[in-house]
Amino acid sequence: MNDKLLVETAVLAGEIMLISGAEIFRVENTIDHILRKAGRNTCEAIVFSTGIFASLNDPSIEAITVARRVTVRATNLNRVYLVNDVSRKLCGDQMTVEEAYERLKEIQTVMQYSRWLKNAGIVGVSVFFTLLLGGGSRDFLAAAITGAVLAVAMEASSRLRLNDFCMNGISAFLIAFTALSVERFLLPGIKSDIIIIGAIMPLVPGVIFTTAIRDTLNGDYASGTARMMEAVVIALSVAAGVGAGIRLFQWIMGGLIW
Amino acid sequence: MVIQTIGAFFAVISFALVLELPKKYVVLAGGIGAAGWLAYLLVVAAAGSVTAAAFLSTLLVALASHVSARMFRAPVTVFLVAGILPSVPGASIYRSVSYMITNEPELSSHYLVQTLQISGAIAMAIFIMDSLFRLGQKK
Repeated sequence: MNDKLLVETAVLAGEIMLISGAEIFRVENTIDHILRKAGRNTCEAIVFSTGIFASLNDPSIEAITVARRVTVRATNLNRVYLVNDVSRKLCGDQMTVEEAYERLKEIQTVMQYSRWLKNAGIVGVSVFFTLLLGGGSRDFLAAAITGAVLAVAMEASSRLRLNDFCMNGISAFLIAFTALSVERFLLPGIKSDIIIIGAIMPLVPGVIFTTAIRDTLNGDYASGTARMMEAVVIALSVAAGVGAGIRLFQWIMGGLIW
Repeated sequence: MVIQTIGAFFAVISFALVLELPKKYVVLAGGIGAAGWLAYLLVVAAAGSVTAAAFLSTLLVALASHVSARMFRAPVTVFLVAGILPSVPGASIYRSVSYMITNEPELSSHYLVQTLQISGAIAMAIFIMDSLFRLGQKK
């Protein structure tokens, strides 16, 4: 068996999973399972939220060690699922290493939904959250406008490669400002608070938080704390953005009326 | 309550699009999310406690996620992450900030504490379910 390719495959699988937001435990486990196929004495995988180390060693070969730094992160549960499937097949001997490597290369770029559908998803979250929180048809309409503003803001910031903190802050700011403006000028009497709550839901770090808990439970304290911190920072940026939006709106309105 | 549950169903499905959930599990994840939110509403109506509601609904969502994951041989995260969305304390964060701005520090800290309580309750529920499902599992 080609050890070099096996290590490369294992690390690639781990990298895709880590980028797509899988728990550390799952990433380490996957790499470990794939490496064990080589039947060498030692196989180790160490994964942090920011990088991967994998090593394969045996008296009969020279040690192969691969390190991979992971900087980007974009939740993509489909890729986690597909990589999991590949690793299962590879370990069950239903797939050769070469096939697995090719398949992983494909998975690396696979996208199920188009940009438009994703933006529709963002609008959908804010719209249906208004229903979930007990809003009526007018709130529904206002939420659609606010959600559209959020989708545009997120799309624009991802094109500009704005960092996450600023993106969340600015998006939250625009949400609050838009919702209050809509209430004031277009649809008076709507419940602007539940519209803002609905629209910030795509920003609130529920996913990161969930992963942080599961990492901590699995004993990966370094990654658990890092992700918990990430969740806190995002929550703070959203809170700051919403706060600034409300305050600015009040301030402008105060100036115009009195 | 029916409309709210339907809202939860579609909210989770919309969120699933953003998270790139595998296509064949989108509807199932929506169902799990909606069931969780229904449980949340029922507990709030019965006991009046938001924290207890978040705890019990997350417990239900985590249970359903683990069962589905085992049935379909898919990672638990796929179902769990989308399903807990409705219980995430976005509302408490918002209220805390908005009362801070209207200069009502007591209400603001009340909602801040509530945010932490709900997050803790969700964490605890996921913890418990994960531990239960790990019993007797080989490494």
